Amino acid sequence: MKKLLSWKIQLIVLALVVVAEFIGIKNFDLGIGVVALFPMLYALIIGAVISLPKLKLLSEKDMNIAANILGISFMLFVAKLGTLMGPSLPQLMDAGLSLTLQEVGHFFGTIVFGLPIALLLGMKREAVGATFSIDREPNLAIIAEKYGADSPEGRGALGVYVCGTLFGAIYLTILASIMANTGWFHPISLAMGAGVGSGSMMAAMTGALAIIFPESANDIALFAGAANLITTIVGTYVCIFFSLPVTNYLYRKLEPVLGRRSRNSETKA
Amino acid sequence: MLDKIYTFILIGAIAIIGNWIGYDVSPIVALPGMLIIVAITVSGFIVEKLLPVKLPVVIWVSFIALLVTSPIFPGNESISKATGHINFMALATPILAYAGLSFGKDLKEFKKLGWRIVVVSLIVYTGTFLLASLVAEIGFRVTGKFH
Repeated sequence: MKKLLSWKIQLIVLALVVVAEFIGIKNFDLGIGVVALFPMLYALIIGAVISLPKLKLLSEKDMNIAANILGISFMLFVAKLGTLMGPSLPQLMDAGLSLTLQEVGHFFGTIVFGLPIALLLGMKREAVGATFSIDREPNLAIIAEKYGADSPEGRGALGVYVCGTLFGAIYLTILASIMANTGWFHPISLAMGAGVGSGSMMAAMTGALAIIFPESANDIALFAGAANLITTIVGTYVCIFFSLPVTNYLYRKLEPVLGRRSRNSETKA
Repeated sequence: MLDKIYTFILIGAIAIIGNWIGYDVSPIVALPGMLIIVAITVSGFIVEKLLPVKLPVVIWVSFIALLVTSPIFPGNESISKATGHINFMALATPILAYAGLSFGKDLKEFKKLGWRIVVVSLIVYTGTFLLASLVAEIGFRVTGKFH
């Protein structure tokens, strides 16, 4: 049973929410584009500073409780997005083709971009675990079952998992803001792209997009939620039957070409 | 299960306060909607426990939320109206606060990683977001929707 109850954590979160909502949304026009700062980002960043081990404000136990609460708290957000879907089913059906196809982008995107670069950087089997998916908990379980958690593949997957947990939400928020400012994509396309299959990352990206395109805020939440739901539903199956075999196949084809030949460049994940 | 329900109620209460400060929705107006969201979430966990089919809870929660707001469900309009008072951004603020507070936990693990894996993770996240957005965009342009 994971421990969830801690007055200390809940009171800090209450204080963070009050402060963050008081500051409110701030738009900064940097000339090249608008950078949107918004309450959930303040809560994330101030929270991260509070948790820094150097400050000794939170114990390991406190942080574990915060992580356990995080693990179930995004269900409330998902429920809220679900309530937007019921009344909008016709609208979702109408966008059905894009909504279905973009999932191919979610699942292929990690491999097409990640694997060649991992190989060019000299990674070996770590590259397979690192790039076959976005390496959230369900994906880690798949890798652990097939190769073992302590295998090169397992270490690669765990590395991306840790980076994603620490910096995923903030990095994707910046990226989503940059993409929104280019004007290359329709807000709804970006919203669907935001449905990467991780609750906190999707929430942060949806927030950034909703502020940059306030007139489409509700549709952005609707489509991000729908895409995220599809990613989650089919995710496990796609990873086992498609992503992992494809990544392994491409590894065999690409490694001899892109991989570094010298033995002494054996990588550490 | 009971500690989960307490936790959802607490998060809901915090989000109601955020919703009040940030979006000027009075807690009394927001309360019914938040209770519905908490009830949907808890039902999702119960369904997951009771049914023999093993699917992630998040799917059940989404499905129940979708069902009770779809036109076939009695009272769907009042449910939508109530939950409509909860701004999704206000609900996300506490969630990201928990994410922030668990940051220090993985920092030790992070320091053990090489720079290569950090670069690769950023590429992995960039790839999944960009390629999906690109495919959706192409889909919209081909079908002529949203343009």
